Amino acid sequence: MGNQNRKRLIRQFTIPLLAIICGLLLAAVLLLLADKSPSAAIQSIFRDAFSCSSFNNCNLFTTFSLATPLLLTGLSAVVAFRSGIFSIGQEGQMMLGAITAAYLGYWVSLPDNVHSIVIAIGAIIVGGIYGWFAGWLKIRLGINEIISTIILSEIIINFPFQNFIKIPFFARIENSAKFLVFAPGSKFGTGFVIAVSAVVLVYIYLWKSGKGYEQRMSGEAPRFAFFGGIKSEKAALRGMFISGGLAGLAGAIEVMGVHYRINQGFNLMNLGFDGLSVAILGLVHPIGVFIVGIFLAGIRMGAQLGLQFELGIPRELGGTIIGFMILFVAAEKLFQKLFDINLKELFRKKKNA
Amino acid sequence: MLDVLDAFNIDLIRAGIRLGTPILLAALAGALCNRAGILNLALEGKMLMGAFLGIYLTYVVGNTYLGIILAILLGGLVGGIFALFYLKYEVNLILLALAFNLLALEITVYFMRTLFGNVGSWTDASIQRLPEINLFNTSSSDGFLNIFNNHNLIVYISWVIVVISYIILFKTPIGRHVRSIGENQEAAETLGINVAKVQVIVLIVAGMLCALAGAFLSVGHMTMFTRNISNGRGWRGVAAAIFGFQHPIGVFLASLFFGTADALSLRIQSVSDYPPSLVKLIPQFSTIFALTIVGLRAKFIVNFAKAKFRRSLNNQNNS
Repeated sequence: MGNQNRKRLIRQFTIPLLAIICGLLLAAVLLLLADKSPSAAIQSIFRDAFSCSSFNNCNLFTTFSLATPLLLTGLSAVVAFRSGIFSIGQEGQMMLGAITAAYLGYWVSLPDNVHSIVIAIGAIIVGGIYGWFAGWLKIRLGINEIISTIILSEIIINFPFQNFIKIPFFARIENSAKFLVFAPGSKFGTGFVIAVSAVVLVYIYLWKSGKGYEQRMSGEAPRFAFFGGIKSEKAALRGMFISGGLAGLAGAIEVMGVHYRINQGFNLMNLGFDGLSVAILGLVHPIGVFIVGIFLAGIRMGAQLGLQFELGIPRELGGTIIGFMILFVAAEKLFQKLFDINLKELFRKKKNA
Repeated sequence: MLDVLDAFNIDLIRAGIRLGTPILLAALAGALCNRAGILNLALEGKMLMGAFLGIYLTYVVGNTYLGIILAILLGGLVGGIFALFYLKYEVNLILLALAFNLLALEITVYFMRTLFGNVGSWTDASIQRLPEINLFNTSSSDGFLNIFNNHNLIVYISWVIVVISYIILFKTPIGRHVRSIGENQEAAETLGINVAKVQVIVLIVAGMLCALAGAFLSVGHMTMFTRNISNGRGWRGVAAAIFGFQHPIGVFLASLFFGTADALSLRIQSVSDYPPSLVKLIPQFSTIFALTIVGLRAKFIVNFAKAKFRRSLNNQNNS
């Protein structure tokens, strides 16, 4: 590995690390403002998120099950970003996937394993069509994808589906469509396995396959892709379909593995935007998504259990920490400037000494 | 079918104006930023922050007007910080906006809960709502003038801002500068326009407008703060700015449309069994439709120009 490469790698890892540290520091300031001890609070976040006292009472497993939708929506964002389209429609795609799952799970009867596979495929296709449509609007008509995905998601989230497809709002899906749960007491089950295999598959697709290479090139260097003979529009649309499909799958897994129905608060969980945070903090890379997804799920989980229940600190602190972290990742240049200045000063001192 | 018509009356338009005002203020901010070549997606977060600051500062100061003014100033400060990040540290504005939206959503609830105990929504008896202004001194309830009467100060201010922003954008040199930056930033720079300065001003003004929109929600429309009180109105402002073609008058009409659709969806529940949220979504459908039309038109113009170019080439070859 060349010196240049190593430098780049170090810098890539430094920025999210610095962002995490700065996020925690600012959270500590907020805690001090509220007259609480920051060290105890942050300790309790991590203790309650990643501890495991017994197989049946394991916070880590719950963190994993919380991480499942984050991993998938994070991957969805990664695939979309890597085709050069800043799609933030994960929330709507999730909702579509969830509705598909609830519908197929309630109205269709199939044998045990076939049922959940059919549902998953259906959710992927439905979510994928949304992603493809947003990509089509961008590529064919030049409509800003951020705006179109926001509006489309708002339409989907507020659309009164229950009036049209006659799902009883609290109807549970059939048992044959439910996912296996490994550890009783948590929702840690097949969904997490699927999410992890999706991480691997997306990595292989983007970095080890020709199609993925085409897609990345059309995202990063459209001119290069064009002169290299890549049909970049097709590649980007394929990427958008996969992206939408992953988010749709996340919604379906939420229904099949966690809630078993669509309830009123389903869209309020803000999982779509958290997925976006995961992708950004994970440096738009599947492996980064894997690490950050579990980390962020842990923060959410620890904030709820450790802060709210034990210390009486509002759990919104968890979301605040995540917000600060993204802010600092976005402020990458700020760190780079500080970093460069520091390095330069260090070198100067060495020379002088 | 006809029972739906019962929902249409003067009260509906009044409610539409009331619900459309925060959208209008946010959309004006969005349109102004778009005109200056900035895609500002942080309207939602800035509005939420303005709502919290508005009610909290009113509570601290004890005067609604003073509280709102302080909230607006702080909103301007946030806009200034955005400008600093964007122009000095070259932060990606979209990431910044997304982070800020998330931050505003969570940190306002965090402060509400640490300051006032673990509550879902907060209000205090000492906080006074903005009074309604009887502009025409009419007491009749069903006159045409009644549409424009008895709103609170922020509603009237928002209309004044529409006129002012129209005049500034289209009748003054600084407005020309703003628009030229939006059309082509490099060309504007070449002409010697100070792009950074204009964008700083625009971002600060946008922050102030959003804070005013938020304050309208917390102390103008209601007298309380809850989690996510803005509830997507900032995003609707982004859509309204596009639907109104980034033009103050267009934005005004678009926001009125958005607000009336909201009001209609609230009222339609009581008079018929149509799903109310479908009515609420009419503006969103219209926005997608408008975007598509605009996109198709642009594509058509390009194709037309290409065809014309080709034809002229052919003619040259033939002659």
